[in-house]
Amino acid sequence: MTTDLVIETSGLRKEFRNRRGGTRVAVQDLDLAVPAGGVHGFLGPNGSGKTTTIRMLLGLARATSGSMRLFGAEVPRALPEVIGRVGAVVESPKFVPNFSGRRNLQLLAGTIGVPDARVDAVLETVSLEGREGDRYKGYSLGMKQRLAIAATLLKEPDLLILDEPTNGLDPAGIREIRETIRGLGESGVTVLLSSHILAEVQQVCTSATIIGNGRLLASGTVDELLGSSTTYRVVVPDRAAATAVLNRARLPVQAVDGALHVEADNPALITSELGQSGIWLSELAPVRADLESYFLELTAGESLGAHAEEVAS
Amino acid sequence: MTRLLRVEAIRFLSRRAVLVLLALAIVIPVVIGFATVRNTAPPGADELAQAKEQIQQTLDDCAQHPRRYGIKDAADPAATCEKRMHLRVEDYAWYEPLSLGDERKNGSGVAVVVLLGILMLLAGATFAGYDWASGSMSNQLLFETRRLRIWAAKAVVVTAAAAVVSAVVLAAYWLVLARVADHRDITTPPGVLSSCLQSGWRGAAVIGGAALGGYALTMLFRSTVASLGILLAVVAAGGVVLAAVGIESAWNPGLNLLAVVLDGTTYYKDVPCEGGGGTCSTQVPLSLLHGLVFTGTLLVLAVGGSLTSFRTRDVP
Repeated sequence: MTTDLVIETSGLRKEFRNRRGGTRVAVQDLDLAVPAGGVHGFLGPNGSGKTTTIRMLLGLARATSGSMRLFGAEVPRALPEVIGRVGAVVESPKFVPNFSGRRNLQLLAGTIGVPDARVDAVLETVSLEGREGDRYKGYSLGMKQRLAIAATLLKEPDLLILDEPTNGLDPAGIREIRETIRGLGESGVTVLLSSHILAEVQQVCTSATIIGNGRLLASGTVDELLGSSTTYRVVVPDRAAATAVLNRARLPVQAVDGALHVEADNPALITSELGQSGIWLSELAPVRADLESYFLELTAGESLGAHAEEVAS
Repeated sequence: MTRLLRVEAIRFLSRRAVLVLLALAIVIPVVIGFATVRNTAPPGADELAQAKEQIQQTLDDCAQHPRRYGIKDAADPAATCEKRMHLRVEDYAWYEPLSLGDERKNGSGVAVVVLLGILMLLAGATFAGYDWASGSMSNQLLFETRRLRIWAAKAVVVTAAAAVVSAVVLAAYWLVLARVADHRDITTPPGVLSSCLQSGWRGAAVIGGAALGGYALTMLFRSTVASLGILLAVVAAGGVVLAAVGIESAWNPGLNLLAVVLDGTTYYKDVPCEGGGGTCSTQVPLSLLHGLVFTGTLLVLAVGGSLTSFRTRDVP
């Protein structure tokens, strides 16, 4: 394992025993590598093992097997040494309902010896000033999320782990949180953004890891993940003739909206084949895939969420 | 650890339910003390006059209808009635004078300790239960990942708060009763007040243990309702089960707690009667040490189970 990675897991596995004596595998042989800096998406459908992985990294759940490192330190053994550099919101924000937002933050700050001035600063950062004295249970969902992010900022973290931070927010709240995350990523904080919303990851993240059924499906920069698509949009006068030529050249072709979508490693192959047959292109452009298409391509319709593998014991 | 203790103390004292229980821990002994002082007060002039009037009415009735009172052929029925019936004012205005010794052993002292114990057990349970119910436990663990420290800081705060509040309340209780006895010119034998205060200290320790037990069980079961339900079931069914299985009262938790508070107690045990068949009840002493070892073992088991569970189980 290398130390320039902020998060590393190797062969990580988590099993849950159910009441019938069986075992449900939530995470299996997961190798996760999150480099320092930027916003890293942790993408997968609901129930795919994202939260379980995060909970193991943060010491809230025990791994059945495998190893984990945060900032090069082995966790959970060395977690107390690095937790001061990690801010996290796992699932929904969890605070004492009858305490005010400020009181909740003060108590957390008191746990790690952070002065009250820092509490004021983070409340201002998340635009909760003026409402900090209200009871937490009276906060809207967006305010609760903002308070949770404020809590993570108390430590001035180098790594921020956010688990579905826009869940349940209205469009304005979503936009606000995404901008905050983007800003944090640009400020040098490494953000691990767990989400099942593909568009969110595509909009906010610089790199991403995709998991399904607790297994790693793909990982890389968002551009790399999208760039792996090799489809080109081709517009020709005679689509039937072009399709026949391209099929003979063993290039998969699909008719889409008056054009052809052709899969090829190199676009020169398409021009060459069609040119040799006297078919002249009026348009050739790469089809910019979105993460959603890529994700569906990866999963191929397989159920990767709640129906995780069950093993009878 | 100091920081954590401070935070936990603030959290404990900021909980409304805990504050209500702490307030009750002061109000209830005040009420019991007031009732004790009132019930042991010598009769006032009105009560004495009323008693004398009742006696006179009885004597008059006896003089008019001596046969109703079993007096036949008396030359002076009034004198005979007075002589035979021997009515005294103190019988009509009866009261139990305040005795610190009696209050400690069989009276209000034990009741106050029991009630304080229940209140502090609830305080310990609700404090931990609220952390689990609100989910704030996991949030706290994201700031302090050493679970043993979190468990210990909460336990220290719960136990210390319960013990200190109880010690102050119990000491005040006995000192006030002693002052009342003194005011009524009741001579308290030497050493009795000291015994009462010592019972108070031991009671405070037991109450601290009860709070710790309530906290530990709630940390184990992760629910106030579950831990209190189990405790209630043990209290309700425990005595019946002990009796049904034939286990003697020496293993009754309540009796052992009493032995700790009172520096030893006694219980009845069935033994074969001397010189004949059948069984006879005999009083057997139960020592402070026995009570300490027994209740201490139960507490250690609860604490051990709770700690092990909290350190190893996943936190939701």
